Amino acid sequence: MKYKDYYALLGVDRTANAADIKSAYRKLARKYHPDVSKEKDAEEKFKEVAEAYETLKDAEKRAAYDQLGRHAPGDEFRPPPDWQQSFGETQFSFDDLDLADLFANLRGGPRGGRASTAPRPGQDFEAAVRLTFEQAFSGAEIELDMAMPERGDDGFLRRVPRKVRVRVPKGVTDGQKLRVPGKGAKGAHGGRDGDLYLDIEVQTHPLYRAEGLDLYMELPLAPWEAVLGATVELPTPAGRISLKVPAGTRAGQKLRVGGRGLSRPDGSAGNLYAVAQIVVPTVADERQRALFGQLRDASTFDPRAHMVD
Amino acid sequence: MKLEWSSALLLDDTGAIPAAQLVEQSGLSEGELRVLVDCGALAPRDVGATTWTFSAHCIVTARTARRLRDDFAIDDMHALAVMLRFSQRIDDLEREFRRLRALL
Repeated sequence: MKYKDYYALLGVDRTANAADIKSAYRKLARKYHPDVSKEKDAEEKFKEVAEAYETLKDAEKRAAYDQLGRHAPGDEFRPPPDWQQSFGETQFSFDDLDLADLFANLRGGPRGGRASTAPRPGQDFEAAVRLTFEQAFSGAEIELDMAMPERGDDGFLRRVPRKVRVRVPKGVTDGQKLRVPGKGAKGAHGGRDGDLYLDIEVQTHPLYRAEGLDLYMELPLAPWEAVLGATVELPTPAGRISLKVPAGTRAGQKLRVGGRGLSRPDGSAGNLYAVAQIVVPTVADERQRALFGQLRDASTFDPRAHMVD
Repeated sequence: MKLEWSSALLLDDTGAIPAAQLVEQSGLSEGELRVLVDCGALAPRDVGATTWTFSAHCIVTARTARRLRDDFAIDDMHALAVMLRFSQRIDDLEREFRRLRALL
C-alpha cells in the first residue's frame, strides 16, 4: 500500500485542530473543486484533498491514520501488526487495498458502519469521454476502463478494474452529459446499482462547427460564383451534395441545407448552414488582370456608397 | 464473460423525469429540491402541477447542487441556489465564448 501524507495534502501540521483542518480543506476546495475551478488537473487535486479531509475530519479515522506512522509520500508500507485489531472489525488482507479504500471501510467509525444491512445504493461515477466529430454525428460504441469499488469475500471494499461498454447516441454535442443507468458501483443489500455519468467532449472538426443540432461551415466562393450564381459540390457529414448558390450571394450570407445537421434518435434534426465567403484569387495573369480591369470600367458598383455623406 | 452494451441516455431538455427520480439520482432531499425550485435554480416543467416533473437536464444541475452541498458543507440552500445560478451563468458565458471564438 502506498502512503499518502494527508496532512501535507491539506497543508496543515500534524498537530492541527479540527477547525484548522476544516479551514484548510475549504480553502483548497475553493481552489480545486471541479465545479468552480478551471485550474489544470483541478479534479485530481480536489480528489486528493477530499480524500485527506474525509479521513482527518473524523476523530477516530484520524487516530487510525496517525497510528499508521510517518512515511514518505508514495512509499510502500504496511500498517503496524496491532493496527488491524485496534481499528478493523474483521481480519482482512491489505493486498490490492489503497489508503482511500482502507479508510472508506472504516466508514462511520472503526467498528460501526459495516454491520448495517440496510439497502445502500451503489456509488455513481463520472467519466470524461472524448469523441471525434464523426462519432458524435453518427453515434458511437465506446469501451471504458473503470476502477469500481466492490466488496470482496472479506467484506471489504476494493477498487477493481471493470470494463464498461456504452452506446453513445448520435447527435451528442460538446459539453453534453449522458447517463448510463446501473453502470456505477454495485448497490449493497438490495440497494440499486449506481449510475455512470459521461461528460462529452467533441473534438473540433476542420470543416464543421456545431451549435445545438445545427452545423455551420464556411463556403468559399469565387467572386464570379457569388455574382453569377453557381452550383457547387459541398461535403456534408452524411455525404457530398450539390448546392445551388443564388446569384448575388453576399459574404456572410447563410445558405441553409435542411436536415443536414446533427440528428437525434428521437427524429429531431438540425440544419447545415453554409456561410458564404468571397475568396479573391491571389495570382492573376495579364489576361485576368485585363478582364478585371474591363469589369471595373464597366461596373457602377460602389461598395462604399453607404459611407458617403 | 461477454460484456453487454449499455445505452447512454441524453440528459437534455427532451426527456422528462418525475421529482422522485430527481431526488433519488441527485442525492438531494425533497425539501432541498423544493428550496432550489423556490429560488429559481431548478424549474419544473409545470410548477403548478400536483406532481412535479423536470427535464432530464435538471439531473445535471441537481447533482452539481448535491456536490457543492457536500464538498463545501453548505447548509443554507438559498446560498447554494445563488452559487448554482452563478455557476450556470458562467457555463452559459463559456459556451457563448467558445461559440464566438469558433467564428473567428
